[in-house]
Amino acid sequence: MKAKVGVVDFLNKVVTLELTAVHQYLLHAALCKNWGYERLQHEFHELGMEEVGHASKLIDHILYLEGTPDVQKLGSVKSGPNVSKLFEENLTFEQEDANLLREAITHAAKVGDYTTRHKLEEMIKETDEHIDWFETQLRAIKQVGVENYLSEQVKKES
Amino acid sequence: MKAKDGVIDLLNRILTANLTAINQYFIHSKMCENWGYERLHHKVCKRSFDEMKDAEEIIEHTLYLEGVPNMQRLGTVQVGETVPEQFTLDLKAEQEMLKLYTEGVTHCAKVGDYTTRHKLEDMQKDTDDHIDWIETQQELIKQVGLEKYLAEQIKKEGS
Repeated sequence: MKAKVGVVDFLNKVVTLELTAVHQYLLHAALCKNWGYERLQHEFHELGMEEVGHASKLIDHILYLEGTPDVQKLGSVKSGPNVSKLFEENLTFEQEDANLLREAITHAAKVGDYTTRHKLEEMIKETDEHIDWFETQLRAIKQVGVENYLSEQVKKES
Repeated sequence: MKAKDGVIDLLNRILTANLTAINQYFIHSKMCENWGYERLHHKVCKRSFDEMKDAEEIIEHTLYLEGVPNMQRLGTVQVGETVPEQFTLDLKAEQEMLKLYTEGVTHCAKVGDYTTRHKLEDMQKDTDDHIDWIETQQELIKQVGLEKYLAEQIKKEGS
């Protein structure tokens, strides 16, 4: 099926963001493992896999719309010297992700592509959940102190 | 543990090759799915995940060596418009990776980093398997013809 004007462009922008997120979470998982925070390593790994899932769905949909998926672009991969900094960077990143998705949803509705809109709405739900998770961790650090928080991250939940 | 001379640089070059391969195989697997070749979709997707596991190990090992993994570099993703073209491009990518691994193994032995060498040797074995698989597909296409080959790719094995 042929895509409506501008839809493939928006989808490709989201693909770039998702692929960047995969790199970022892959790195953050490895950092947490290196620092000894197994629980966080596991959480970041899960986040990374969810982003792979998003990229996969977007590429499928672009091909279905007879567009060309762009997997050559990579945004800026953010890192940090400690867990709190990683959380802050990821929170900003996910918020930007949500902004882009919102723009794309509005555009899809405007041109009358409700299938794409529906797919993007499902993605923004998960992005909101990621934002919520990062906000929760940052709030927990404020409430219990960073040392107490980190000592709880050494063991993975079983 | 501090890394020996040149090891981090090599690991980062390998990481870039891995990250690029992830994207290339991923898009190829998705195209195969879109064309209706379930079996190839499945096979190529697995290859992409193999590369992701290698990338993960390289990142972790670089951090262990107190180096900084470079996640920001991406090589050229070569996208094939047909199945045989995809095989040609993937074979090229794997052969380049093999060269990098060989260089890495030789270098690590020279500077006496046997842990890294061992890890690279394991990855090299996987790359050899990938090359073998792609070459087999190309030979098959030659022997049975493209149409017959593709017709066999419509159903996933075991389904």
